[in-house]
Amino acid sequence: MLPSTFEDYLEAILTITENGGRAATLDEIAAALDTGKEAAGTTVAALVEGGYLERADGGAVRLTGQGLSVASQVARKHRVLQCFLTEMLGVDEDAASKEACTLEHGISDETIDRLSSYMDGAQSPPGRMGRCRGRDCTLLDCKEGDTVRVAMMHGQRRHRRLLDLGIFPGEIVQIRRKLPNESVVVRVKGCDIAISPEIARAIVVESCP
Amino acid sequence: MKFALIGNPSVGKSLIFNQLTGLGVEVSNYPGTTVELQRGNTCFQREIVELVDLPGVYSLDGNSDEEGLVRRFLEQQDVDAVIVVANATRLERNLYLLLQVAEYGLPMVVVLNMADEAAKRGLEIDPGPIHDLLGVEVILTAASQGKNIDRIIPAALAASRPSAVEIPYDHHIEAAIRSLGKMFGADRKESVRALLGFGDNPELLEAARTISDEIEARHRMTVTQIIAANRHNFAHKIADLTLREEVQLPQTDPDSILTRIIPGMPILLGILIGMLLFVFVVGSFLEEMIVEFFDVYAMQPFVALGLPPLAEELGVSILIALQAGLGIAFPYVFLFYIIISILEDSGYMTRAAFLADNAMHRVGMHGGAVIPFTLAFGCNVPAIMSIRLLRSRRERIIASFLVTMVPCSARTVIIAGIVASFVGIAAAFSVYAIVFLLILITGLVLSRVTPGERFGMIMEMVPLRWPDPKLVMKKSWARLSEFLFIAMPLLLAGSIVLGLLDFFGVMTIFEEFVEPYTMALLGLPGYAATALIFGILRKEMAFETLAILADTADLGAVLTSLQLYIFAVVTVLFVPCLATITVLLREVGSRITLAITVYTVTLGLLIGGLIHYLFS
Repeated sequence: MLPSTFEDYLEAILTITENGGRAATLDEIAAALDTGKEAAGTTVAALVEGGYLERADGGAVRLTGQGLSVASQVARKHRVLQCFLTEMLGVDEDAASKEACTLEHGISDETIDRLSSYMDGAQSPPGRMGRCRGRDCTLLDCKEGDTVRVAMMHGQRRHRRLLDLGIFPGEIVQIRRKLPNESVVVRVKGCDIAISPEIARAIVVESCP
Repeated sequence: MKFALIGNPSVGKSLIFNQLTGLGVEVSNYPGTTVELQRGNTCFQREIVELVDLPGVYSLDGNSDEEGLVRRFLEQQDVDAVIVVANATRLERNLYLLLQVAEYGLPMVVVLNMADEAAKRGLEIDPGPIHDLLGVEVILTAASQGKNIDRIIPAALAASRPSAVEIPYDHHIEAAIRSLGKMFGADRKESVRALLGFGDNPELLEAARTISDEIEARHRMTVTQIIAANRHNFAHKIADLTLREEVQLPQTDPDSILTRIIPGMPILLGILIGMLLFVFVVGSFLEEMIVEFFDVYAMQPFVALGLPPLAEELGVSILIALQAGLGIAFPYVFLFYIIISILEDSGYMTRAAFLADNAMHRVGMHGGAVIPFTLAFGCNVPAIMSIRLLRSRRERIIASFLVTMVPCSARTVIIAGIVASFVGIAAAFSVYAIVFLLILITGLVLSRVTPGERFGMIMEMVPLRWPDPKLVMKKSWARLSEFLFIAMPLLLAGSIVLGLLDFFGVMTIFEEFVEPYTMALLGLPGYAATALIFGILRKEMAFETLAILADTADLGAVLTSLQLYIFAVVTVLFVPCLATITVLLREVGSRITLAITVYTVTLGLLIGGLIHYLFS
């Protein structure tokens, strides 16, 4: 197994070169890893020697076949770990990304495979609707005629009137009309309320039991 | 005795107020706001009872102008009792406001209006639970038929005790109320209001904020949300006890036609265009009649008197001002207000706003702005007056800019009278094209630079119903007299000043002075500038004055096509007329009015100059 620094380099180069499509300059690599150009040069030279990178024109480097496979492997581990941390454990996205950066080097390929298949097979958390994978469902994801429960409201200080009209977490609403331009009318407490798309987007909903 | 009517929007509150009070209703604006407040008197057993019709609100805790006004009004405790009007067909939502009012601890009476409609829908109403839980008198009414309205005042006179209701809150909130009570001796109502961030005791507010932060961290909801949810749930419980649904009768739902893109959009366009055409045709007919009438029965006899020149000039100026004022007021403002009141009272306005919402977003406003824009094609004055329908100051500022640029019927007269008849139809349409392009650009720019929060639309689709003709006329008349009251003095003053300037030859000096500039900038003779200035009084006057000053109605003979075209473009863009300026002053204040005036003048001269520069 390669030292974690090397893996970080390969992963960064993969991102810079957009999956190995082009070459990356030393400046770009140093900037992406937030390190000095000299230190980057040393590590890159070691990677070239190991056969993971090859020199391209103008001092740039490019991933070799071997380098590409290692880099993709690490990048996948990062994605799976970050997804697990944010989606299943509810860790904040930035924090999850940082933690994934550390964990990705120590975790075995098999564990990652199992984690990935566990997440695929896992039931969605109760109430989440199938229509919007990987993010919260909002009023805008509903169809005309759907009946849903309000789960959460963003920016509710600005949308005080929603509360006064009876749209609050826990309340059940029915989508009466949805125009192609995404303005919606919902029925709540026997009254029809028209809502602009940008406000409807702030209302997170879940399916009714 | 003084009672206040309070309730959600469109629950028939105005209708009840109207039936209770006779003539002599005073519409006033609450100090510092554009919110209308109606006051009226009624007699009961030889005692005068004063009634205040508060604006319709959904809640007492919101941040709109109306909600702030009602809140302040109730805090002053300046009334003997409040009459809460609720819509029986939407009882649960209406009870939410009712519970908030009850918490204020004023003596109150509950009016469950639209009982007839509720019965038609198969709802059976039992007023008992509300009476028992709140400890107040409950009256079932049907205002559209005048049923039981006479019972309201006696009940209000008899009401002496405040409601004893205690809304059961979440246990965290209840604990917070208890500890705030122990720490500051605040009662239940004060504590709840402090938790919501209202009140005037800074220490109490500070403590309440600390507690609510703590509650917020534990729940996944804010204190405001929890309190609102508790009130709604309690309202739900009361509504369940009060209403029994016998059979769900089949209901026809007009919204299945009105709020779909097809056929909703064509219907909306049809209504807007129809409204415009109607006012245009009938309005210009009436205006012509009024102007003609003035000419024949006032102007000509007055000139025939042969008074000394100065007196004659003054008299003519006054007559011109009256003519201009009445010529706009009756045909356009009044007709528009009638139509707007019909659209408002019937509930169609909310459907129109819903359909137009997205298009209006592009220029920084929401759906409600479709009304001022349509109105503006007829006359800018009612259009500006209707921008108070918009919720935020930001939207009102943007709308006031754009509305003043829309070519009203008077400017259409200029485009038709000068460009279409002397230059050509295609040229006339190109003037419209230029103006619309400028409006679009101005809107796009303003929506980016205007400060203030963007509000989206959160709007109740009020139930559709037939408007009450008496109420419509009364509302329109009230707004018309308001317009005459503001606009007339300014029109008179402006007209007299211009007349005197003309009389003492200042105008001639002015013409000689500006001629080099107008020639260089616009390629227009000096008298065209005088005509432009007279256009401020009434836009058509620019056309008439030009004909008088040029000494011929055949303008094509004295001015080139390009000159006429430039004159028309500048007049159309140039300063809004005096009547528009007066309502602008009222609705958006002097700074914005000045900005609009400067902007339109600059724009007019700039575009006129550009055309002159490009084509000559």
